[in-house]
Amino acid sequence: MKVSEMREIGLKKLTSILILLLMAVVAPLVLPEAFVYLLGLALLFLILVISWDVIVGYTGQVNLGHTVFVGLGAYTAALLQVPSRFSGTIDFLASLPSPPPVVSILAGGIVAAIFGLIIGVITLRLKGYYFALVTAILPLVFMQTVFVFSSIFGGEEGFSIGLERSLAASTTLRYYYALVILIVSFIIIRFILNSEIGLRFKAVRDDEELAEAIGIDVVRYKVLSFVISSFFAGIGGAAIVHYRITVSPDLYDIPLMLLIILAAVIGGLGTLYGPLFGGLIIYLLKNWWLKGVVMTLPEWLPINDEVILYIILIAIAVLAPEGIWDKVKNILETASLRTSKSS
Amino acid sequence: MIDLAIRILIYGAVVSGIWALVASGFTLIFGVARILNFAHGTFFVLAAYLGIVMVSSGVNPYLATLLSIVLVGFFAVAIYALLLSRIREHEVMVIIATLALALLVEQVLLLIFGEHGISYPSLITGVLRLGGTPITLKRIAAFVIAIIVIVLLELFINRTRLGKMISAASQNFEGAMLVGLDVEKLFRVTMFISAVLAGIGGILYTQIFAATPIAAVKSLIFAFAIVILGGLGSVRGSIIAAFIVGYILTITINLFGARWSEFVALLFIIGILIVKPTGLFGVEE
Repeated sequence: MKVSEMREIGLKKLTSILILLLMAVVAPLVLPEAFVYLLGLALLFLILVISWDVIVGYTGQVNLGHTVFVGLGAYTAALLQVPSRFSGTIDFLASLPSPPPVVSILAGGIVAAIFGLIIGVITLRLKGYYFALVTAILPLVFMQTVFVFSSIFGGEEGFSIGLERSLAASTTLRYYYALVILIVSFIIIRFILNSEIGLRFKAVRDDEELAEAIGIDVVRYKVLSFVISSFFAGIGGAAIVHYRITVSPDLYDIPLMLLIILAAVIGGLGTLYGPLFGGLIIYLLKNWWLKGVVMTLPEWLPINDEVILYIILIAIAVLAPEGIWDKVKNILETASLRTSKSS
Repeated sequence: MIDLAIRILIYGAVVSGIWALVASGFTLIFGVARILNFAHGTFFVLAAYLGIVMVSSGVNPYLATLLSIVLVGFFAVAIYALLLSRIREHEVMVIIATLALALLVEQVLLLIFGEHGISYPSLITGVLRLGGTPITLKRIAAFVIAIIVIVLLELFINRTRLGKMISAASQNFEGAMLVGLDVEKLFRVTMFISAVLAGIGGILYTQIFAATPIAAVKSLIFAFAIVILGGLGSVRGSIIAAFIVGYILTITINLFGARWSEFVALLFIIGILIVKPTGLFGVEE
């Protein structure tokens, strides 16, 4: 490829990013408020998707418990904001002052990262399926904590942190905060993945033995990737709590995990930009459009929005196991090859 | 005190026997086809629900039980032929697709039957008194049936030609292909047996305890604890491990309450992974 061609592609990428950014900034000014609220939640959901891509798409370790770190971040932030939930159980915590949102969001990330470090050190040093098996059951166990210690965590309904502790009082402003948190997270993740560390992640993913042979401490980089991934999952979870003012076990739950997987798989694992688009499409599809579609179905049909999403996911897994993004790219490439040949 | 001890002894044996069936099915298909089937618990739940529906619509209970177990077996073969056989090499996608399938079935069952626990109609009634402790005959029957099925499974794998072929394929996949074994057929047979084991487990379980659709996914916790202790891929290992995990769970439930069983299972798994990650009978990969 010639330098001028590369520059052209770079320029194209830059303009498309700028256009997208502009659209994201203008969106709340033209869209109805209810949709802006949903869009902001979708932006925070994207943090969960791209952070999942770090460990799965870039490092090749199947993490099925990403929502545990989302939930840990969420409950950490919520409890920091409402420490009175500890009264009666851990009394000395109950009188702590509640910190500003920035602090509790960062704390959510840190708690998630520490837990990721512990689980990572135990499971990632083992080859094979142990990481997938252990992470798969983590959400089930953490769901249980919410019910067992319901005086603290609020059980099934969770609890509210109060409107005064949200990111901002107005929906529009909250949307912009969500956008900023996403952009900052994205830039940091992108920076890490493009650095030498990111190259090592990919080396571990592509050929573990080879990576080991050229002197990469495979376990260390897997754990590092997992910690980074967990940190941003925690940030995302905590930000969601400050955005929607409530915390509840749905942030731990497996349906959210499947939604993250679906978004990343549709966008293409290990592409970072792909999951961004996949995430936006899937989140809005589920929460805006699919619920309406399900309403129109006859009542006796045992189908809801989740059922449809699971069917889509199974279909993608079977029809395009290497990722739908690759498939589309291949089709486009062969098509453009054909046209360039014929011209 | 003695009463509690007897209860733990008997209940533990019953629970262990049932989990041995479920876990050995899970480990069997992994050992033979390297399929980590996250939808294994689905067979467990589906057999119970199928049987309950048939019995409530007037089918003879014994016939309904037999039919639902066989149907679940064929359902598993269909899942293998339509989904898993195409993506067997993509380990990540196998996990994702089977997990999605488990959640799909769970959701559909929830929409049809709701989230209330349901129990299988009793096939055997009566109570036995053991030193003052009443024990229902169906518990004893569940244990006996589980043991019979496990023995039959062992005999099948070690004594029959088909079983030996399956065993060969699990030890060396390429070697089995080289000597001319139809491995695809072996995988389908293994999938059938694996699901039948889970199905029998599901029906025995719902004879005694109530089950909800959520068990499709939740049962995986205990199955994983057992196969990790027993060593992934080792059928004999998971049978022995099932009795260790089964008793630990029974003791936990009787002394502290059922809500702690998930925590104990997780701590147990992490403990094994720290101390002896290959499990009792696992082979280092």
